[in-house]
Amino acid sequence: MGLEVKRSLALSKGTIRSLYKAGISIGFALLLTSVLFLLTGANPFLAFYYIFAGAFGNVSLAAETLVRTTPILLVSLGLAISFRCKVWNIGAEGQLYMGAMLGTITAVALGNTPLTLIISLLVSIAGGLAWASVPAFMRAKLGINEVITTFLMNYVSIYLIQWLLAFPFRSPDTLFPESAQIPPSAVLPVLLPYTRLHLGVIIALFVALPLVHFLMMRTTFGYKLKAVGENPEAAKYGGINVGRTMFLALIISGALAGLAGFVEVSGIQFRMRPSLSPGYGYTGIVVALLGQNNPVGVALASIFLAAIFNGSTTMSRALGQPQGVVDFIQGVLVIFVLASEYILRYLERKGVLKV
Amino acid sequence: MMEVEWALIIGFIAAGIRTSAPLMLASLGETIVERGGILNLGIEGAMLIGAFTGFMGAFLTGNLWVGLLMAILGGILTVLTFGILVVRINLDQVVSGLAINLLAAGLCLYFFRLAFSQGAFPYLSELIGPYPIPLLSQIPVIGEVLFNQTIFVYVGIVSVPITYYLIFKTSYGLKLRSVGEDPLVASYLGIEVSRIRYTALILEGIFVGMAGGLLCLSMFNVFDTRIVAARGFVAVSIVILGRWNPVGAFAGSLLFGFTEALSLWIGTFLIGPASASISQLLSLLPYLVTLIALLIGGRRVRGPAALGSPFSKE
Repeated sequence: MGLEVKRSLALSKGTIRSLYKAGISIGFALLLTSVLFLLTGANPFLAFYYIFAGAFGNVSLAAETLVRTTPILLVSLGLAISFRCKVWNIGAEGQLYMGAMLGTITAVALGNTPLTLIISLLVSIAGGLAWASVPAFMRAKLGINEVITTFLMNYVSIYLIQWLLAFPFRSPDTLFPESAQIPPSAVLPVLLPYTRLHLGVIIALFVALPLVHFLMMRTTFGYKLKAVGENPEAAKYGGINVGRTMFLALIISGALAGLAGFVEVSGIQFRMRPSLSPGYGYTGIVVALLGQNNPVGVALASIFLAAIFNGSTTMSRALGQPQGVVDFIQGVLVIFVLASEYILRYLERKGVLKV
Repeated sequence: MMEVEWALIIGFIAAGIRTSAPLMLASLGETIVERGGILNLGIEGAMLIGAFTGFMGAFLTGNLWVGLLMAILGGILTVLTFGILVVRINLDQVVSGLAINLLAAGLCLYFFRLAFSQGAFPYLSELIGPYPIPLLSQIPVIGEVLFNQTIFVYVGIVSVPITYYLIFKTSYGLKLRSVGEDPLVASYLGIEVSRIRYTALILEGIFVGMAGGLLCLSMFNVFDTRIVAARGFVAVSIVILGRWNPVGAFAGSLLFGFTEALSLWIGTFLIGPASASISQLLSLLPYLVTLIALLIGGRRVRGPAALGSPFSKE
């Protein structure tokens, strides 16, 4: 018993390597961003100060950062499952929209009943799952590259939803292409007065995160994911149904993306809009890679990206920087996450780092 | 009456070929690298960079041809960056491609907003228009459809036999294909795998840079980070459907170019209360058709054997 605890407290070599890699990625990305700030005439220290202050400067700002973390975390937890078995779901954006749309339709149709919230949440999970099951089927049964199909389906879903909101489900009471407002009973309650921090953050951090952690680390399915990801041929000879594992991984990630979508409607927007997500489906990819498909790592990476998301708005206003710094950081971050293994090995060879 | 209908149909066919041009160029480029065993999903990002550098080049100098040159340079640079990731340091090709797409989106959004203040709406005052080929464009029907097009269409069509010849009839093509089938054996035979692959990537960069550039320089006169709209991924699908053959890629490009033109064309003919609704819904048609085509023609196809797998001699 005592031994067990000790072993789980001491960081394994793999964990230390992962931490180094995350550190290298973030370090290089911030360094490059600093260069960008210098080139555009902004003081990098001041810029990062404003980003930090804008994300955590007071209680309400910190609450907003957690609000931003919620959809990113839900999406990236799902992507971590899918990426663990090397199924590259880049359709989370579309799955998120489908979940949000179906959840909203359900909530509006049911009206104000005690079960509206829970049923709508379940429908959004089912919506994301169903949308992901198409590319999952194509991958598992027909061997069609899921990267292409999931991405193309983003376009189908977004155009479909724009149409649904412009015509059949257009709100009767506003001038915009958006849905009717969801009933009060479908709204996720606010946790902290005078902020937008809603129950969704509890769902993400204290329900989805432990569940995904358990699924990945403590079940045979989690083991299968890893086996398929590391060597599908060997997994097949070991008796694992590779196609089935890939199928499940992809639909579970779709389910979580769908949930993220309706949580965003139910906690923040209260209506379905074509502009619901500023690209959470893509941010989720960066987060899952930065967190190296480890649920805890993914949670930390979600908070980090959410902080940059919110903080860079404050920074842009203060320093006259253009909007879009967050996209720049996301872009360079993902390249350095990729290269970090190489950089780490290089540093080890040179004797700078020892793992 | 008949004449009017003829003119409409000819106009539609010409439009279909015009909208096929970016797909032709991109899928020919992708065919080359995939024959060499590299799956470049960063093509979407490379097209975006091409569109951006093309737009900026044309906007800043006022010369569309400078824009085209910048687009090609942007395409080459992006594809080579991808090449460094997958050829030099042997990273996973799929993830590297995704990384390139995210990087491209981030760079373009940031630098576009850096260059133009919020609310500014920069546009090009002219586009690279059709260049009628003397005499040939006078031929009835065929002249209008084939010989009164932009240079991008001409380059796309002419590149089909050239690419075919390059892949199947030259010694470079033989090496390229053997690298794509089995890079280890190829390297034992004395073929420099990375040199072959870098050459293929540079060729792809030229094609893809043009494909991206033409979006800004010949189709739309503005830049937007959503301008590529999955055309890169459609091009990758076309390569699969065309069985890694330039002729197949050409046919596939026409199919999707015509679908895109059709979804716009139908919209212009609709009248009545439902017309706005239907024409908006038609926007998803090209993506849906690509998915259905993959469902029918993309199952268990066998591409170059080493496609997508990292290679190092150690």
